[in-house]
Amino acid sequence: MNRSRTWRAVAVILALSLAAAGCGRDDDDSGDSDDSSTDDTSASSASFIDPAEDCEDYQPTQGISGDTITVGTVRPAQGPYAIYDTVTKGVEKFFDAANAKGGVKAGDGKSYQIKLLKEDDGYDPGRTPDAVKKLVEQDQVFAMVGQIGTENNLSVRTYINDKCVPSVALATGSPEWGKAAEYPWFIGGLPSYAAEARVALEFLEKDNPDATIALLYQNDDFGKSYQAAIEKYIEDTGSQMSVVAQQPYDPNSGQTTEGVTTQLAQSGADVFFVGIGGTPCPRTLTFIPADWQPTVYVSITCSGKIALSLAGGKDEGIYSTQAQLDAASPADQANPKVQQFIQDGQAQGLTMTDIEGGIVSAGWGFASIFARALELSPTVERADIMNTLYSMQDENFGLMRDEMSVNTNDAEDPWLFEQLRMVHREGGQWVQASELVEFDGESNEFVGG
Amino acid sequence: MTDIATPTVEPMTSGSRGFDSQRALRVAPVVVILVLCIVLPLMLSEFWVDRITGWIPLAIAALGLNLLTGYNGQISVGHGALYGLGAYTSAILVGDQGWPLFLAVLGGALVSFAAGVIIGLPALRIRGLYLALVTLSVAVLFPELVRQAEGLTGGTGGYYITEPQVNSRGVVVDRPIRLEAPEWTGLANDQWRFYVFVVIAFACFVLARNLVHSRTGRAMIAIRDNEVAAEVNGVNVARIKVLTFGVGSALAGVGGGLYALWRTQLFPQSFTLLASFYFLVAMVVGGPASIIGPAIGAVFYGFFADVITPELPERVKPATPLILGVLLIVLMRVAPGGVVGLARTTMARFAVARAAPRGADSESAAGEDETASISRSEE
Repeated sequence: MNRSRTWRAVAVILALSLAAAGCGRDDDDSGDSDDSSTDDTSASSASFIDPAEDCEDYQPTQGISGDTITVGTVRPAQGPYAIYDTVTKGVEKFFDAANAKGGVKAGDGKSYQIKLLKEDDGYDPGRTPDAVKKLVEQDQVFAMVGQIGTENNLSVRTYINDKCVPSVALATGSPEWGKAAEYPWFIGGLPSYAAEARVALEFLEKDNPDATIALLYQNDDFGKSYQAAIEKYIEDTGSQMSVVAQQPYDPNSGQTTEGVTTQLAQSGADVFFVGIGGTPCPRTLTFIPADWQPTVYVSITCSGKIALSLAGGKDEGIYSTQAQLDAASPADQANPKVQQFIQDGQAQGLTMTDIEGGIVSAGWGFASIFARALELSPTVERADIMNTLYSMQDENFGLMRDEMSVNTNDAEDPWLFEQLRMVHREGGQWVQASELVEFDGESNEFVGG
Repeated sequence: MTDIATPTVEPMTSGSRGFDSQRALRVAPVVVILVLCIVLPLMLSEFWVDRITGWIPLAIAALGLNLLTGYNGQISVGHGALYGLGAYTSAILVGDQGWPLFLAVLGGALVSFAAGVIIGLPALRIRGLYLALVTLSVAVLFPELVRQAEGLTGGTGGYYITEPQVNSRGVVVDRPIRLEAPEWTGLANDQWRFYVFVVIAFACFVLARNLVHSRTGRAMIAIRDNEVAAEVNGVNVARIKVLTFGVGSALAGVGGGLYALWRTQLFPQSFTLLASFYFLVAMVVGGPASIIGPAIGAVFYGFFADVITPELPERVKPATPLILGVLLIVLMRVAPGGVVGLARTTMARFAVARAAPRGADSESAAGEDETASISRSEE
C-alpha cells in the first residue's frame, strides 16, 4: 500500500514537471530574427558555398564582436605529439604581431584584432570533438585556424561542416582535404601528402630508377595517404621502383619506432621513407642500424630544425620537401619576408631558436592564410571567407617562396599549396636539391587507394 | 574479502511501517534526480545537454562495476574493455549490419555478457589482487586488439557509425547514424537523446536494484562478506560469481553501446585502462554497494571533467589527473563510503540526535537500525 502510494507521488511529481517543461527550450531563432545579417543574400549564386543551400543554421558573423574576431584551434599540448603545440605558438604569434600593428585590415575596410583560443586534445581524435564543440558552441569562435592532426580533423569534419564553421589552414595535408565538394568548410594549410610523396618519388627515381623502398607509415589516414600515393605512383608511371618492406606505426600506442625500424632495416632497401610525424619521426633516424645506409626521406611534417634536433645528429644527408621559406637557411634569411618574420617574431618574444626551428614558422604560415583571406574577402562572413579561399588567383603571402603562387578554383582545385621543392640536409641546414616542382590543380590526381 | 566495501546495502524495509521519514528520505533523492533529468535538458543549451548525456553511459558502466566489486567483492580494472566491447559491437551492428539502434545496444550488452562470463570463469579460482591483475591484462589487451582488427574496427583511424547520404550539393557523403527525435515529440535531437538515455539508465538501475534485493543479491553480498560461510549456507558460489561478472559486464556493454550512439565514432584509446579507472572513480565517489551511488559518482566525475577542468587556468590543466587524485584522497578521508555513505551517516546521526531527547522508542530504533547498517554488513 505504502509502496504504491510513494510511487504514485513520484509519478505525479514527474508528470507535473513534464507538463511544466512541456513547451521545450526557448528557441534561439526568435531572438535572432531581428538580426539583419541573417537575411542578407550577399553570397551570390555563383559562389562555391551558398549558405542558404548548404547550411541549416547559418551564423555568418558568430565570433565577431566590434573589431575583434575570435578564432579557435585544437592541438596536442601534452604527450609525444606536444611538439605541435609549437605550431600553434606560431599561429598565435602571427596574430599577436598583426594585432600589435593595428590588426588585420579586412575587405570591408575595417581593421580587426584577432584573438586565438586554444584547446588541448592530446592528439587523441576521441577528444577532439569535445574540444571543438566547446570552441564553437561555448566560446563562439568565428573559425578554426591551423588545427592539428589528420585524424583529429576528420573526427570533427561532419560537425564543422554541419555548423558551417570555416576550418582554415588545417595543419595536415591529408588527401581528404581535397574533397571540397563533400566538405566545403575545410581547407588545408599544407600541400597534399599524396603530392608530397609524388614529388619525393620522382626525385628519388632520378638517382636510382630501380630503388627498393622501405616504408614506415603512421597507422592512420596521414601515413596511409603516403602508402597509397607511393603505390599509385609506381602503378601509374610503370616505375621500376618497388616497396620491399613496410611497417605501420601507431601514434597513440606509447611505443617507440625502434622495433619497426629494425625490421625494416632487414630489407636492406635503398630508400627509407619515414612517413610519420611528431617526435617519433626524428627519433626514428636514431634507430637506423649502422649497417643499413639507405637514402632517407622524412615527411614534410618533421622537416623543421627543432624536430630534427631530436635526431641525435643522424639527420645529415636526409631528404625532405619544403613549401615555405626556411628561416634557418642562410640563403633564405636575406628574403624580405623572412626578415619581416624575424623582426615581427622577435618583437613578440620569439627567440631565434623558435624562428629558425621550422615549427613556429609553419604556424606563422597557417595564420597568414587566414589573414590573407580576411584581407581579400569582400565581407567578414563565414561563407565569404571560404569562397575567397576557394577562388584565389596568383596569391603570394606569408612565408611562401617568391616563385610560388596560390591558385584555387572551388572543388575543381581546392589545394592552396601545389608547389614543392626537394631539400637535402647538409651540415645542419636544408639545401635546395631540386627546383620548385609545380602541380597546380593536380593534387587530387595523385591520391592512391 | 570483506574489506572491499565497508558501507553496505540499504536495509530492506519491511513495509509494515507507515510512510515513515526514512522511506521519504530514501525516495527523495530519486525524485530529485528524476525531476532534474526532466527539467535540465529543457533549460540547458545544446552543448551542455550533449555533455551531460555523456555522463549517462558512464553511470551505467559504473553501476555494472558496482554490482561486481561493491556487492560481490570481485575487483575488476578491466571494465573499460567490456565497455569498449559493448561500444564496438553496437557500433558495428549499426554501421555494418544496419541493425536498429536499440537492438544493437542489446547486442552489445549480450556480447559483453558473454565476455564477462568467460572472464568470470578464471575468477572462480583467482581472487583479490590476482583477479585485479587478470582484469588488468584484459584492459591493456583490448585497445591493442581493436588496433589489430583494423578491418572490423577501423583501427587507430577509428570506427565511424555512418551511412552514405546525398548532401545539399548532390554529392554522396558519409553521414553519422544517430538517435534523432521523432517529429511528434517536438524535442531537439540532443534533448531526445538525453531522455532516451535516462529511460534506459533508469531501467538498468531498477533492474540492478531488484537484483540486489533478490535472493541472488543476498547471495552476492554473502559471498563478498564471507565466501566460506556463504557456501556452507548453501549458496552456489561459482554460479553467483560468474553470473555477477556477466551481469556487471552486460551493464558495461549497455553503457558502451549508448556511448557509441552518443559519439557515433569510436577510437581505441578511449577504452584504455583509464576508462576502467573512471568507472572505479565514479563507483567509489558515489558510494560502493549502493544502487544510486554510481549515478551520483558519474555526475561528480562528469562535473569535474566537463565543468571544472575547462575552467582551470591553462598552466594548471596538465595537472588535472593530479588534482582529481588529491580530491579522491580527501574524499576518502572525509567520506570513505562515498557520497551515499556520507549521506547515510549524516542522516543516521541526525536521526539519533533527534530521537535521543524525545526518547521515543520507534524513532530511536529507526536511528539505530540505520547506524547499524552503516557500520556492519546486512545479513
